[in-house]
Amino acid sequence: MISLHSTGTLLAVVTLLALPGASSAQHEMHGMTMGGGWRMVPMDMSMPMLPGIEGAVPVVGPFMPGMGMDPAMLPEARPSEVVPLADMDTLDISVSMVRRTISGQEMIMFGYNGQYPGPLIQVPKDATVIVRVTNEIEMPTTIHWHGVRIDNRFDGVPGVTQDPIERGESFTYEVNVPDAGMYWYHPHVREDVQQDLGLFGNLLVTSPDSEYYGPAHREEVFVLDDILMDEQGALPWGNESPTHALMGRFGNVMMVNGETDYRLEARRGEVVRFYLTNVANSRTFNVTFGGAKVKVVASDVSRFEREQWVGSVVIAPAERYVVDVRFDHPGEILIANTVQAINHFRGEFYPQVDTLSIVTVSDEAAEPDVSAAFDTLREHDDVVADIEAFRPHFGRTPDHELVTTVRVQDLHQSIVLSMEADTLYVPPMEWNDAMPMMNWLSTAEEVTWILEDVATGAQNGEIDWEFEVGDVVKIRVHNTPDSFHPMNHPIHVHGQRFLVLSMDDVQNQNLVWKDTAIVPVGSTMDMLVEMSNPGEWMIHCHIAEHLHAGMMFGFTVTQPAP
Amino acid sequence: MIPILALLASFGASVLSGAEAGASLPHAPAAVCTDGSSYYAFELVTTKNIPGTGLATGAVEASVAATSPFSVQLSADGSYAYDLHVSLDRMNVPREGQLVAWVTTPDIDQIVRMSALDEHLRASGRVDWNKYIVVITLEASDDPDQEIWTGPIVMRGMSRSGMMHTMVGHGALQQENCAAFGYGN
Repeated sequence: MISLHSTGTLLAVVTLLALPGASSAQHEMHGMTMGGGWRMVPMDMSMPMLPGIEGAVPVVGPFMPGMGMDPAMLPEARPSEVVPLADMDTLDISVSMVRRTISGQEMIMFGYNGQYPGPLIQVPKDATVIVRVTNEIEMPTTIHWHGVRIDNRFDGVPGVTQDPIERGESFTYEVNVPDAGMYWYHPHVREDVQQDLGLFGNLLVTSPDSEYYGPAHREEVFVLDDILMDEQGALPWGNESPTHALMGRFGNVMMVNGETDYRLEARRGEVVRFYLTNVANSRTFNVTFGGAKVKVVASDVSRFEREQWVGSVVIAPAERYVVDVRFDHPGEILIANTVQAINHFRGEFYPQVDTLSIVTVSDEAAEPDVSAAFDTLREHDDVVADIEAFRPHFGRTPDHELVTTVRVQDLHQSIVLSMEADTLYVPPMEWNDAMPMMNWLSTAEEVTWILEDVATGAQNGEIDWEFEVGDVVKIRVHNTPDSFHPMNHPIHVHGQRFLVLSMDDVQNQNLVWKDTAIVPVGSTMDMLVEMSNPGEWMIHCHIAEHLHAGMMFGFTVTQPAP
Repeated sequence: MIPILALLASFGASVLSGAEAGASLPHAPAAVCTDGSSYYAFELVTTKNIPGTGLATGAVEASVAATSPFSVQLSADGSYAYDLHVSLDRMNVPREGQLVAWVTTPDIDQIVRMSALDEHLRASGRVDWNKYIVVITLEASDDPDQEIWTGPIVMRGMSRSGMMHTMVGHGALQQENCAAFGYGN
């Protein structure tokens, strides 16, 4: 039984998250209205204020949804509902403004069918469902069915597979789902705004095989997200183009399924299957389960070749992981984002643990006892056999090589000088926004993120790769540390599936089909893409602000000549 | 060809104009893709304390990829788990004793024995600290149970993260009140 907080019996809330400013000293400009209607980004005193940028604001204007509207006039958003659909069933989705309350702040956000997250659509493998989307928000939108090897016409990319859905208009998607697993849907227009404002939902594709996964007592969906707020609510987004173009918009309030205080109850020995999806604009989470035993079972488009014990789950924007967790001991278990953040002022790493959810484990023993099955790491023979056919391609020279880099122009001189001096060391992953003011001030007007084809020098939209259905393409992606601001990038391939063969020449011994994979700074990822799905598709970074700062290109897959 | 300009336009006209305007800062030309672990590699420097090691050079390659099912490998507290590969060169190996590689924290309050160096002056190991020092010492013998070095230090080197420096009280940020950042009064 899938549960998405369906009981509605929230216990008393203890959140360990606090809005910056509520608990820590802030710079003196904090919360003040600045030029052009901006408020200074939250930045506590562990972050230095760079001389020369006090009072500066982004070069773009601010955007807030429903500007001037009274939130009380809007319907209050409600938690996500499970919507089981059969083959050829139809679902209507309205994209509309809703009223949300997060950390005590009431604000206007967006929602699919007035829900947060959007409806959890449950569909059997190989079904096709019809989804009629009507746009009622003030900006154009689309829906991208992330990870689904969908008919290209319904991939949701504006200007490529469809025109954007203007306000008051509708578009009908036919969603065919050839692969079991957990997927998600979100807009592909100004994702940095629309997705951050609540437009996302899961699509669970169920397998006809009742033993597709091992036994678990129950299943829980965890949609991981963050939002950037101060005491007045969400910080405005960039109007003409995104702010936070350097690092992406990290939130300072974390949420599970749109709630800051998500709680669960479990019995001793209970095995809970978690479907994790990261819908944050930029944050990669390191999810820990308070010492409970965790095994990773599946990721984006398939199960792993073999189940594997893990101490935590590193999940980048847009990735999904399926993990089975057993709660052996009664008491409270903190599910947390556990990272070592960076304090640039002190030149130090420091532990940062943010509670995502609290699980209260009772002393009552879970029935039936599934310990023996849980303690066994299953090998998925069908996955191994599927991948085996691709093994002859593993050792090949890459067909294409990409390098990631960034170009800036007209960025504030203080930021440029600081960045150039402070990039002697860049971490493999950015777990926190260690430079909130500089990041906020960088917009897609000044920052261009780049995917560059090594062979041709073509960048982003200049890249024009063409393939045929049946091609197996090896792509090497190198995240160069030799740029103005190196950063990890979750690389997403539309409409196809791929294997991560190796990272930094270390061969991957436990493969899984993916649609998104993170490339840390300095690392080189070899991926093998099965071009199985004809159409015009995208490859891009799934940090929303990087995408909208140019980091994307298209490729074409055609049917071979008869 | 995909109408990428149309796509860009749909994301926002300013993105297009930014891309077309060119750069005021040069960016590095695309390099041939290399082994990513080289970025986190660092140098080992001789102490010149042992005869035959005065001209010695050394390097440590550090990779966070390893065998995790994820793209990076982390420890329970979120620190990176680095796979380290030590290699020494231009050294006359001492006739007596055993060269051993260790990893220690910058405060030298924790020490982990990596392994003895092999006949090719190579050693490998793993550490789950974000900042660390690799130390090569000359020990009396190869004792896997040894918890702390007792012999002289032959070479040492700081992880690349050691390049992160405090900006407190100097440089462009000297106007900041250090006390607010936990430094003195």
